[in-house]
Amino acid sequence: MFKPTSALFSGLLWKTPWRLSSPQKARQRKRLRAVDQVVDTLSAALSRQGKTTKAVERWYAEMPREEEMLPKDKYTLFDKKEKSYRKSIHKLPKWTRVSQRVNPPGF
Amino acid sequence: MSYFRVQLIRSAIGLPRRSTDVLKALGLKKRMGIVFHPVSPSVAGQIMKVKELVSVQEVDRALTKQEVRLERKPDPGYYVEKSGVDERAELSGH
Repeated sequence: MFKPTSALFSGLLWKTPWRLSSPQKARQRKRLRAVDQVVDTLSAALSRQGKTTKAVERWYAEMPREEEMLPKDKYTLFDKKEKSYRKSIHKLPKWTRVSQRVNPPGF
Repeated sequence: MSYFRVQLIRSAIGLPRRSTDVLKALGLKKRMGIVFHPVSPSVAGQIMKVKELVSVQEVDRALTKQEVRLERKPDPGYYVEKSGVDERAELSGH
């Protein structure tokens, strides 16, 4: 049966959903925890030798852990062009491979 | 002396040139490739640059390439009790 949808009527039309599905959100949490775990491993290994490094210290000083983050920050990011100043995180290019955890000051 | 066992889980395709270069510097060429580096602040800094792409473990010693391959080998399901050469030697001894 032909179902007239905008994707079929026009030539190239990509339909990106405006929000994440719950499995996408679960995978996002998993990725956040994986990054936390990498940093923890580095920090633990270095501290066992009595050393530390700036990148790790800075991460702990600036970045919240997955369990400390609000759902708002896990799944959305700041965008000045949106009416609500937030858009879903999957609009961020390469969003599964970049760390996006904090908001600009005041947001 | 302990080592970082670094495995490339996600590729750096489409990411800034810097991340590809850091992976190259660490010796990670393909996805699922494993490298060992001694624990040091400079290596930790390099891993921090690509922390979203790799998984890291701290291990006591660096495995050789052959040992890493053997880890992946499945259990054959049998073990050799005695080899034919040993058995023949035993028989001829009697």
